[in-house]
Amino acid sequence: MHWRDIGIDRMLIRKFIGQSSLLFSALAVTLFAFGWVRVWVVKLLDMGQFQTILEQFRDYEKFAPIEFDALFTYSGRVGMTFDEPIVILCTVVWCIARGSDVVSGELGRGTLEMLLSQPVSRARFLLSHAVVSIGGLIALCLALWAGMGVGVHATTLTEVVPPPSVRVPFFGFELPLTDDAPVEQSFPMSDRVDLRTYSSSVFHLFAFGFFLLGLSACFSSLDRYRWRTIGAVMTVYVIQLIMYGLGKAAESLSFLQSMSFFNCYKPQRMTSLVRDGDLWSPWNLSLPIEDGWLPPLGYPLLLIALGLFCYGVALVVFTRRDLPAPL
Amino acid sequence: MPDPESGDLVRCEHLTKRYGDFTALSDCTLNVRRGEVFGLLGPNGAGKTTLIRTLLGYLYPTSGRCSIDGLDPADDPVEVRRQVSYLPGDARLPRHMRGKGLLDFFAEMHPLGDRERSFAVADQLELDLTRRVAFMSTGMRQKLALAVVLGPRTPLLILDEPTANLDPTVRATVLDLVSSEQATGRTVMFSSHVLSEIEQTCDRVAFLRKGHLAHELALEDLFQRHRVTARRTDATSSEIPIPVELAEWIGGISQTDNRIQISTAGDLAPVLPWLATLPIEQVRIEPLGLHAIYQSVHMGEELPQLQPQGSSETDSPKSEGVL
Repeated sequence: MHWRDIGIDRMLIRKFIGQSSLLFSALAVTLFAFGWVRVWVVKLLDMGQFQTILEQFRDYEKFAPIEFDALFTYSGRVGMTFDEPIVILCTVVWCIARGSDVVSGELGRGTLEMLLSQPVSRARFLLSHAVVSIGGLIALCLALWAGMGVGVHATTLTEVVPPPSVRVPFFGFELPLTDDAPVEQSFPMSDRVDLRTYSSSVFHLFAFGFFLLGLSACFSSLDRYRWRTIGAVMTVYVIQLIMYGLGKAAESLSFLQSMSFFNCYKPQRMTSLVRDGDLWSPWNLSLPIEDGWLPPLGYPLLLIALGLFCYGVALVVFTRRDLPAPL
Repeated sequence: MPDPESGDLVRCEHLTKRYGDFTALSDCTLNVRRGEVFGLLGPNGAGKTTLIRTLLGYLYPTSGRCSIDGLDPADDPVEVRRQVSYLPGDARLPRHMRGKGLLDFFAEMHPLGDRERSFAVADQLELDLTRRVAFMSTGMRQKLALAVVLGPRTPLLILDEPTANLDPTVRATVLDLVSSEQATGRTVMFSSHVLSEIEQTCDRVAFLRKGHLAHELALEDLFQRHRVTARRTDATSSEIPIPVELAEWIGGISQTDNRIQISTAGDLAPVLPWLATLPIEQVRIEPLGLHAIYQSVHMGEELPQLQPQGSSETDSPKSEGVL
């Protein structure tokens, strides 16, 4: 490798950072702020009051991304952040915007012509773009986690502790042992929620985004119009989402669920594994979650493998195709 | 293709590029010698840009091969682009950058990049480098692209319509820059629709038509071809005979009323004494110009011989009509 090649990589990465900095800043601020606010909102709702109502919907629990029991714990409710539409939307926007840009975006703008007139191989160009896109995705996932962390440490919870009582057998009611008033206790949320619980959920979010990034880059390398690339990726996304939904809704169509990449995105399941086991439970690669399932770490690794495959296809297609003149 | 020995920096051998049924470039064979300014002429869709893009490795040829400094762009496009500075016909630059940052960026990108040189060209073109590319006019962006391309001291400079979108003053500056690049030993490939620019700057020119290399000629030969117009002073309308000894130099004589037009090919020296004996006045001698050749190629007509049959002692390259 020529020493100037490192300079080329550095300049390309700087260019891609500059190009995506506005989008990244907006999404990072959104995710950080949302993570914080979402945690704060957890304290506003006492889910215990909804327990009776939720019990009536036990039959529909399979449609929820989380077990209902998890809704009655702070860590479970904080963990729901990873399935919030805003989080998914921000991740999808970054991945599709950046992934679709690499070839068809640069071709459409006409800037690929000047960039590739420099002594840089197409592979280096694509990989430099991937470095920035993947780095941005990691930073966005960490921004969300950081926002949640700030929220967890800044939020104070207040719980009402009733006076000691005893449950009367057969009659099923509580008999107070004293006539003291209930006591309000305040404590930081970090006493109940360990932020490390969500490390595997953050990894799942990254894996989800990485696959989308690879898919978008793959479609982009085949195309010359960015709008068409985005349309194609969104089509795949929506079809996969419908397959996932149908697979969950009908037993006879359950095979569709396993054919959807959404089936590999299980951040709340990881939270449950931590709650039921320990912090390392989601990182297991030997014990399946349930019979017929993959080990917990298998799902994000599968997404990453699919993403790498897509990037591989993008690399081969881009290096072999003709590059048309800008229109 | 060991080019250093042949003296050709660029070589194309039966280069063909097809898109399905459409042939963008067909069986194109041409060479560009080191140190010359080589012009590419042809109407839109003639295959000029396809030829250039194939040379740079953007397009893979359907058949045939090409090389720059002995390097095949299909095999090693990166090494080829180390030898080339390329200005696209429609140069579009990253819009989020400012002019100064963009020149720095491209100077760093190319191993032979010269930041000072790029800034000097930008200064010569009176370019405001503090603006973002997004807020520059088309002409300003073209100037900026020229400053980028003229920075690296590569052996080959390929300019695809470099003066498009530029005002006449800047056009002249750009042509001066091209000439000065040649003076430093660089080889220049120059594509343009403006015939006067080709005449002014190029040593040789290739005409492309519908993907075919229609004609190739040395400008030196073209400049030896003249058109003499004059008014007859005698009252007769009889034809002026062409002396046998000048038959090779006189292409033809036509007369309309009392105006005559004599076409000459080759050196004017043998013709001038004969002209002096003719009963004519208001004599005007003008070079034939590229326009006439271009029109002939464009219309698919047979091209006239530019040099007299017998005057082969000159070292200048011969034109070769391939129509």
